[in-house]
Amino acid sequence: MVDFQVDETVDITDVVCPITFVKAKVALEELDDGQVLLIHLNDGEPVQNVPRSIKEEGHQILKLTGNEDGTYDLVVRKAGG
Amino acid sequence: MAFTNEQLERYSRHIILQEVGAGGQKRLMDASVLIIGAGGLGAPAALYLAAAGVGRIGIADADAVDLSNLQRQVIHATADVGKPKVQSASESMLAINPEITVETHRMYVSASNILDLIAGYDFVIDGTDNFPAKFLINDACVLSGKAFSHAGIIRFQGQLMTYVPGEGPCYRCVFRDPPPPDAVPTCSQAGVIGAMGGVIGSLQAMEAVKYFIGQGELLTGALLTFNALTMEFRKVRLPRRADCQVCGAHPTILEPVDYALAACDLDGGG
Amino acid sequence: MKITVAGDVKEYADGITVADLIVSEDVETPAYVTVALNDEFVLTENHATTKLADGDNVEFLYFMGGGGCGVYK
Repeated sequence: MVDFQVDETVDITDVVCPITFVKAKVALEELDDGQVLLIHLNDGEPVQNVPRSIKEEGHQILKLTGNEDGTYDLVVRKAGG
Repeated sequence: MAFTNEQLERYSRHIILQEVGAGGQKRLMDASVLIIGAGGLGAPAALYLAAAGVGRIGIADADAVDLSNLQRQVIHATADVGKPKVQSASESMLAINPEITVETHRMYVSASNILDLIAGYDFVIDGTDNFPAKFLINDACVLSGKAFSHAGIIRFQGQLMTYVPGEGPCYRCVFRDPPPPDAVPTCSQAGVIGAMGGVIGSLQAMEAVKYFIGQGELLTGALLTFNALTMEFRKVRLPRRADCQVCGAHPTILEPVDYALAACDLDGGG
Repeated sequence: MKITVAGDVKEYADGITVADLIVSEDVETPAYVTVALNDEFVLTENHATTKLADGDNVEFLYFMGGGGCGVYK
């Protein structure tokens, strides 16, 4: 289990692909290297694509948990820290 | 300033690029560009810069839309014939992107007004069709320490270069003085393929975007030429002229100068 | 001797000048062309006296108007 403290949260359940990733990317850009972002996202396409795209950009996926309402929480550490 | 979801969607293809990202898009939204000439070059440049979200775009032109413009000036429509070009251009830009601010300058540029005109903008696009105007814009930008994009098109040919203060030659380094009136044809006399404005004007918009996002190499110290018949682009290195009248070590041009215009350009057409 | 003109390597007689090259290349508006020889501009008044040498690189830069009208009067 990785220890982390969430620095910022972004809700991308109000947009659809591919804007989901764009919104997450912008939120990550605003963080300092090494800071942790919690991304609240929907089931389906978002949860299939957003973690992969974030990984491709070099960031570290810390945790992905499913919520009871069908949404997910993705915790990411910004690359470079 | 945070992006709205609508802005994230509108600019997603920019933001997703490593070279632009949220930071680059914000720089574009904070930027201002003056486009001189709402014609064959200015039309695509204005449309792409508006679409890109450049926050404030000035457009200067004294003419009204003429039927002969529509073969290449894609910012104007048939229903705009007779309308001031700056108004028609402004409407098209705002139709694409209502988020930006468009400032219209319905005027002829001259030595007496150019410095004031360009002072309010970060970058200037020369979309004019005659040499007196091109030299005037060059001199005013050099004297004001302002970056600008020069371009020219005629027949199946186009060229462009970018001036950034302290980073290479200016237009006058290369061409020294305007040719005498009527010595060199302009496109109103010689014709031009409409899509040439699209190619070269879009490249001017590209240079402006790169200038603001600070990525890649600009056409400083180089003239890019395009021949549509052979489909050849050539990037010709340009030296600086140490004794350039306006950007050289001992400049003799200390304020903008008006030159005589060729008689056949007086009623426009480029 | 070989000279590169606008990117193409061509064979020319020894000792030709920039002015000769302008004629043999059939340059449009020869009085108003800017010539760059090995990355240096050659002043128009020096075209006739500037001799070319084997391996030289020559570029012709042309005035190009056109773009938009109604901006200058």
